[in-house]
Formats: sequence, structure tokens, C-alpha cells
Amino acid sequence: MHISFLLHNGYAIGGTVRTTYNLARCLAEQHDVEVVSVFRTRERPVFDPGPGVRLRHLVDTRGMRAPTDIAPEHALPAQVFPRADGKYPMYSELTDRLIGEHLATTDADVVIGTRPGLNIHLARQTRRGPARLGQEHLTLATHSRRLKLVLRAAYPKLDALTTVTEADARDYRRLFRLPGVHVESVPNSVPEPDVSPSDGTSKWVVAAGRLAPAKRYDLLIRAFSQVVAERPDWRLRIYGGGREHDKLRALIDERKLYNHVFLMGPTHPIEPEWAKGSIGAVTSSLESFGMTIVEAMRCGLPVVATDCPHGPAEIIRSGVDGTLVPTGNENAVASALLTLINDDELRRRMGRAALADAARFDPAHVGARYESLMQELTGRTGRGLHRTRGSLLSGAYAVKDALRNTAHGALQSGRTA
Amino acid sequence: MSGITGTPVATQPAASSTTAPHRPRKEPRISTASQDRRGPTADCTADIAGGLTFDVRLSDDAAAGQESPGLLLRRRPDLSGETEEIRLPLAPVEDARPAREGTGLVLRAALPSTVQMTEGRWNVFLALEGQEPRRLAPGLNDLRSLVDRTPREGRTWLGVRIPYATKHGNLSVRAWQRWPHAEAGTLRVVDNGLVLNGRLHGARLDTGARLEARPRRAGGAAGTVHVEVAVDGEEFTAELPYPPLAAHRLWDLWLRPAEGVDAVRVARILDDIPDKKRIFTYPAQRIELPPGAEEPEPCTATPYYTLNNDLAVRVDPVSA
Repeated sequence: MHISFLLHNGYAIGGTVRTTYNLARCLAEQHDVEVVSVFRTRERPVFDPGPGVRLRHLVDTRGMRAPTDIAPEHALPAQVFPRADGKYPMYSELTDRLIGEHLATTDADVVIGTRPGLNIHLARQTRRGPARLGQEHLTLATHSRRLKLVLRAAYPKLDALTTVTEADARDYRRLFRLPGVHVESVPNSVPEPDVSPSDGTSKWVVAAGRLAPAKRYDLLIRAFSQVVAERPDWRLRIYGGGREHDKLRALIDERKLYNHVFLMGPTHPIEPEWAKGSIGAVTSSLESFGMTIVEAMRCGLPVVATDCPHGPAEIIRSGVDGTLVPTGNENAVASALLTLINDDELRRRMGRAALADAARFDPAHVGARYESLMQELTGRTGRGLHRTRGSLLSGAYAVKDALRNTAHGALQSGRTA
Repeated sequence: MSGITGTPVATQPAASSTTAPHRPRKEPRISTASQDRRGPTADCTADIAGGLTFDVRLSDDAAAGQESPGLLLRRRPDLSGETEEIRLPLAPVEDARPAREGTGLVLRAALPSTVQMTEGRWNVFLALEGQEPRRLAPGLNDLRSLVDRTPREGRTWLGVRIPYATKHGNLSVRAWQRWPHAEAGTLRVVDNGLVLNGRLHGARLDTGARLEARPRRAGGAAGTVHVEVAVDGEEFTAELPYPPLAAHRLWDLWLRPAEGVDAVRVARILDDIPDKKRIFTYPAQRIELPPGAEEPEPCTATPYYTLNNDLAVRVDPVSA
């Protein structure tokens, strides 16, 4: 099979880039795989796409200051890429055209979109023939109402939609009418790390991710001050950069935790850093998947995570290979951490269980699920019929939604939340 | 294969008459042949004693015909322009991890803890025959054995080497060589001062032990502020009040183990973090001067680690 991924920026650091390359690398063992990056911001990609994976770009923005440096067309707003996708400001008439040309001429058997805006391109611009597979790395519940409307109109034109959790797949099946579209949850993959797992003896708790409000590192730091009160010999490292840095720094200082809590900055690769810890911590208010939970588990760490929508509960078996605690509850985070800190045997047992249980996220397993999905899609008979039906339906929805939008203020967010 | 099993050879500082000081390269040169491929990388693993191993993955093509490949460590020139090199043999590893990058050969070099390395930053190169030494890129650094390190006793010197990625994405090794060594531990900012806990290695704490704050670039011992330290075996605790520090902008902290003994710089080097400055930070605190002091400019004091991971205190005027 010839498989072509469409990615926003394959030269950047990010969960989607990483998971796309993990999958591409695995599929490339059997298939012809290319990754088309809409933008190129660096000389070389930060993450290695893997042997046999061809990476190419459509728009090179290296060293460019203004959109017009690239092309006058790049200064004109995009028409195909939806305004409701957060990356809209970076897209333009130029990207509309270049992505469209790519999708209209691709000789791939399967094209895979990796974010809502690109899935719209797939739905609208792919020539007849290739199977259109849209990936949703975020969740329907967290999309804006505006984006939901756009996706609702376009997604019937896809052949398949994959989500990273079963909970999100259920939302799509329940809230969108997607006749003939195969909706399936396939988790992100995380390869076996190249470092040996943690032996659980160090007195460090490790967290990693962007320092963004949704990650709730403030909650983790507050919870950790309770930990320090009881076990001052344990410390916390938080890896990652982001706009919350200064706030978190101020919180650490205010709580006099500067000998116990450290903001380590962005770090790549992260696996050796997990292996330095004995417990992982994820205290987010939202995790569409929860990649860091799996990463930590693959390094042998039991993870204390908030049971936030949607990912953690589909990854952790609480009490067996980690601990789930109520979202936003500082005391619960502290007490779960202390339980693991105070019981060396429990911690190591759960660490071993985490290592074993996380093997199901290996690219080999995840890749095999994608492979059988794609084989089903490309082997499907009567796809032309589905296609036509899907297009008609989606047209009807678009009209209906547009009418509602003007008349009544449209799809209530309450219905889709 | 001759040369591969040889012992490491530390060459002496290059003679200035024959060799110009090596300048660190500004930007990684991207060879046109590998426009979209990374250059060779080295995975570094630290052992508990302070030794390092470097695993370099070479393509079969690159390894072909190499009789004695080597790893070259070259110290960045100091102020006098002096540099030095350490060359380590690279030998094939039999039980290498399966290569993710397809086939190829893994070569390993060991930098034993017994090899002395001058304090500084050392750039790491791959030296193949018939080629200019080529800067290595960092791969996976497994430094878990350096976290919370306690140096072995009964030695005559302490070597610390932490491999790291430079901001240009190259591999370097940060080296310290100290003995005795005063390792800073917890530091608490208290009312109008700081309380420092630490541990002295390689010397005995005795009567007259004290913590000294020396004004930087003031010359001589003039202006040094010192306080008694409480001693508990190898550990010391000192409370340094801030008001006497208002007189200068930068202060370096030293530990004098006993009366009449040379002072030791207080530093934090016994872990896996090459640059402490931005990670170990402490709150600034207003210096409250006693009533009756001369009308001074209001200022704050902030403990910090220098680029060499030495402990210092910075005094800043309070901006209005």
C-alpha cells in the first residue's frame, strides 16, 4: 500500500508529530509511506521520521518574516482550511492550493489527515480513489461549536475517522451522523524506550509536558508541598517549557519548595529523564489521550493521574499499574503519591505492572490495527456508492446547519459536550 | 585491529608555536552529502564512579576500512588560548542494542573515571582515518547514576563529567575536577539571610570552620564576610546574613574547613544537571539594613549558581 500522511509541521516538537512518526515508521516496514508536512520551519526534523519514511514539505517558512516573503498568495486568508481550527492564521490561499494540488494528484492508496483542518482538506480535495482517513488527536468535546459544525458537514465524506480514545469515538458516533464512515478508536503508540526501565529506587517524582494551564502543574506543586511535609527526602522534576513557567516558578518560591520542586525546561529525548524517577505524575484537567502516561509506564513508572476526560482511564488500571484520582483534587493527588512513596514494594510492583501493561501501546500493535483498518478501506467494494451518499448527506447537513446557525444560534454546545 | 584496545592517551596542551588554538565551531556545519540526515550521534552512559561510555553508531559504509577509529575530546580553549585533547579508541560492541536506524555498526569508547580532565567544556568528535574529526551529535544520555551522586571516599581527587547537548545541538562534556570539594545541598532563604547546608569531601571540618562570602573582582581578602559553620561529620550548616552583602554586587561563597587551611569553593556538581543556573533558582529578598545605617540604596539579595555551578549571591538595586 502507498500511505500518505498530511501533517501540519513535521519539523516541530509535538505529540502529534511524534505519534505520526511512530506510526509511519512502523507502517514503513511493510508499505510505501510518505509524510507531507504543510510547513517546514527547520532544516531538520526534531523527531526522526524513521528509516524508509519520506518526509517532504509544501511551504518552506525558514528565514521568512512576512507571509509575502513566501508568496503574495500566502498573505490571503485560507478558504478551505477552516477558520475554526486553531492553526487557521498560519494557513492561506497558498496552502489551500498546494494541499489541494497534492490531494488531487496523489497516487497514494490511503491519505491520512492528522488534525481537523487537514481532515477538511482531505474530505474536500482528495481525488476519487484513495481512501480518506481522518485522525482526531484531540476530542470532539473540547472542539468549539464552530469547529463542530464544520466537521459535522465534512466528515461524512471521509472513509474512516480514528480517535485516540473509545470515549471520543462514542461521542462521534452519538453526536455526528456518519453513515458509511468507519469510526474507530486506535490509541497513540509509544515505542519501547532505548533506556532500561527505572528500578524504582530513586526518590524522585517526574512529570513532563508543556507548561500549559490544562496540565495543572499548579495543582501538582500544591499537592507536592503536602508530600514534602511528610517526606522531605522526595523531590519532583517537571520537564517542559511554556507560558505558565513564571507563574509556576512564583508558586514554588511562595511555597518555599525551591529545594524540592524543579522546573527542568524542555528536554529531548525524555525517556532517560523518566528512567531517573520512581513515580510519574499527570494532574491535567484534560488529556485527549495521555501520551506522557504511556511514556512513563514504558519506562517502568507507576503513574498517579487525574481521571480527566478522556485518556487516563483508558490507559491506567487504577491500583494495579498506576493510580487514578479525581480531577482537580489536590489532597487526592498528595495522598496517592504518598501511598506509593511510603510503600517501596507496592511502588515497584506497580512499576513492573505498568511496564507490562504499556506494551499494548507498542507501535507494532497500533500499526497492525491501522494496517487492518486500511486494508479494509482499500479492499472495500462499492466505495463509490458510499462516497456519493456521504457527499449528498454532508451537503444536506451543511445546509441544515447553516440554516440553524442563522435562525436559532445553531447546534447547542450542551448537546455535544 | 591495532589501536582499538589501547589505553586512553591524554595529550598535553598543544604547543603554541606549532598549533594554533582550536576555535569551537560556531554552527554545526551541514555536509551537503547528508543534507537531510543527521550526522553520527553518540549515546552516553554514566557509571556510578564518574566514568562515561560513548556508543557511536556508524553506517557500514562509514565504518568500512577503518582500522583504528577514535573518539576525540577537545577542551574549549581557556583565556590563555590553551587547549588539550584526549583520544579514546572506539571498539565494536558485540551486544549492541538492535539498531533502530537499520543496519550499521556500534562502536564504543570508554572514558574511565581515572582519566583526569581539566575543568571546562570538552567538545566531542568522531575521528576517522583520512578525515577531519567530525563533531558528534548527542543521542540518548543515560545519566541516572549521576542523580544524587555520593563520591567514593578514600580518593585523592574528584572528577565530574556530565555530557550535554549544546545549544547548537552538538555533544559536549562538562568537566569539573576538584578536591577537596564543598557540595552545596539545601539552601533556605530566611529572614534577611540564607541558611546553607552542604557536605565537604576530601578535607576535615574542624575548629574555625567558616563560610566566606568574597566580593567578586574586589581583589584580595578585603571585604570578605565570614560566618561560623555548624559541623556534623562531613556536613556543615551556615547562616549568612544579608546586610553585610549590601556593599557589593556579586559575592562568591567559599568554605574554609579549619583555621589556617585553604578555602574551598562551594559548588553544586554531584548530579546529572550540567547547568544549574536556570533550574536551581532561589527567591530574591529585600535586604533590611539595621536602623542608623547610612542612607543606602534599597536592594535585594538572590542566591544563584554561576555558569560553572559555583554558588554565589547577587545584590540588585530595587527598581522603583
